Amino acid sequence: MSMAPVPRSSKRQFDFDIFFHWLFWGGAFVVLLTLGGLIVLMATGGWQAFTTFGLSFFDRVVWNPVKDHYSVVAPLLGTIVSASIALILAVPLAFGTAFWLTNIASARVSAVVGTAVQLLAAVPSIIFGMWGVFTIVPFIARVLQPFFNHHLRHVPLVGSLLTGPPVGTGLMTSGIVLAVMIAPFMTAVMCDVFGSVPAMLCESAYGLGATRWEVMRKIIVPWSRNGMVGAIVLGMGRALGETMAVTFVIGNVTVVGWSLFAPRSTVASLIALQFPESPAGSIRLSSLMALGFILMLFSCASLVLARFLRGGRK
Amino acid sequence: MNVGLTTSPENGSSADAEAALSVRDLNFYYGNHHALHDIMLDYPARQVTAMIGPSGCGKSTLLRVFNRMYDLYPGQRATGEVIFDGMNILERTVSLDILRARIGMVFQKPTPFPMSIYDNIAFGVRLHERLSKSDMDERVQDVLTRVALWNEVRDRLRAPASGLSGGQQQRLCIARSIATRPEVLLLDEPTSALDPISTARIEELLDELKEEFTIAIVTHNMQQAARCADRVAFFYMGRLIEVDTADRIFTNPRQKQTQDYITGRFG
Repeated sequence: MSMAPVPRSSKRQFDFDIFFHWLFWGGAFVVLLTLGGLIVLMATGGWQAFTTFGLSFFDRVVWNPVKDHYSVVAPLLGTIVSASIALILAVPLAFGTAFWLTNIASARVSAVVGTAVQLLAAVPSIIFGMWGVFTIVPFIARVLQPFFNHHLRHVPLVGSLLTGPPVGTGLMTSGIVLAVMIAPFMTAVMCDVFGSVPAMLCESAYGLGATRWEVMRKIIVPWSRNGMVGAIVLGMGRALGETMAVTFVIGNVTVVGWSLFAPRSTVASLIALQFPESPAGSIRLSSLMALGFILMLFSCASLVLARFLRGGRK
Repeated sequence: MNVGLTTSPENGSSADAEAALSVRDLNFYYGNHHALHDIMLDYPARQVTAMIGPSGCGKSTLLRVFNRMYDLYPGQRATGEVIFDGMNILERTVSLDILRARIGMVFQKPTPFPMSIYDNIAFGVRLHERLSKSDMDERVQDVLTRVALWNEVRDRLRAPASGLSGGQQQRLCIARSIATRPEVLLLDEPTSALDPISTARIEELLDELKEEFTIAIVTHNMQQAARCADRVAFFYMGRLIEVDTADRIFTNPRQKQTQDYITGRFG
């Protein structure tokens, strides 16, 4: 059958196909350019520190602006330990809250609390920093630390981990503040993950006579494993990189020691504090850039590890 | 008994066989929505009773009353009685895990658990019994044989159940349900997601299973009800309109609404 040709204007004013083609290609290109640019910038910026200090940048514990001697050990340990404390505290909390919201709470309660969790996740980190200074620091200085110092002083291992000067700032304080910061965020992600478990799958397990506990352990957790790993990695990324809230409460001392309650520093807090006062071209600035580069590698490595863990479970 | 209730039809041939499940004056509510009205119905032991009716007529709701699945959801409640083995299963005191082991359920879509074929069967059994390794192996083989799946999966019992085809998965789900040795089997449109060949195999299976289990099946497929069911109950708008032998429902229904539905005038 024949149809009259649709009248088209032969000279279109503007070719949207071509426009969007290049817009999207440009967008993808900018992503790669940004990532590559960051890596190159941090690596070249830190080059002077890497070549000057060599291996001692990684195996000596020193951060001495007077003698211009720097190493990554103390701040990197601070970052790892405070992020680990945060994860240890926040993961069970987030898991429990998310499970309760999706599987136990009634719809109305769940809607209210769920919204509150999302609001909490949107609170800027500086607010958590101030809250830490005014609430957690005094609590640890006046209550927790004297208690531990009194009772655990002579207990081996635990004693050296949990005792220290009652100043209130330190790794544990940062860990707690970070945990409170990342828990709502991880809860929100885990809620989505648990919410995606097919209701019929859970009902099948209940239909065989399983209890809530059995359904959680045997059905919901295995089904959501990938998503939970994703939530934890996202939380960990925030904990590793968080700057302001940690700078407020960690005490900012570049030493290494057993106590979780003594002032320390993290990579991000150290950079934030010392970057403005490091002159251009100085070995100190270069060392800070090197720290940044290592933090970046560290975050990327944890992301890759998470991908690997998720892939391995398929 | 309230035979005189205008909303309750007579119970057809229920007197022929002892009832495994007896529904008495059942009303069901989703919050304020009154979904089932004064249902009176018997499910004769070791027979297949099919529940038919248009979407939203309450047939699946009724099925979910029998294993108290609605208990998972706040706001859903049932009043009246469902007598099973001399007890009213709607009582608060009924132990749900034991009830659900005795009244098994199979869903619209295959729902294999994220574990191996073997563990899918063993999952339910382990909830209620402590079996030795060899007893468990025997149980798994027994139920897989009964659903005609054994020869297809005997070499890959440790493989994830998600690798099976849809029809195989659904037979696995049936095997899983009968592995806890229930007395009643509830099937909620068990073939609605399956191809015709898989559907035929499940229907054959029902014929064998009814020698041992009382079967209540919800179906949208009238041919399926005619092929598999001994008795058919027709529901409309939350009410039981008519229940009778499959022959009589499909050849000579007493109610006009039933007649209209089975001849395809609505639904």
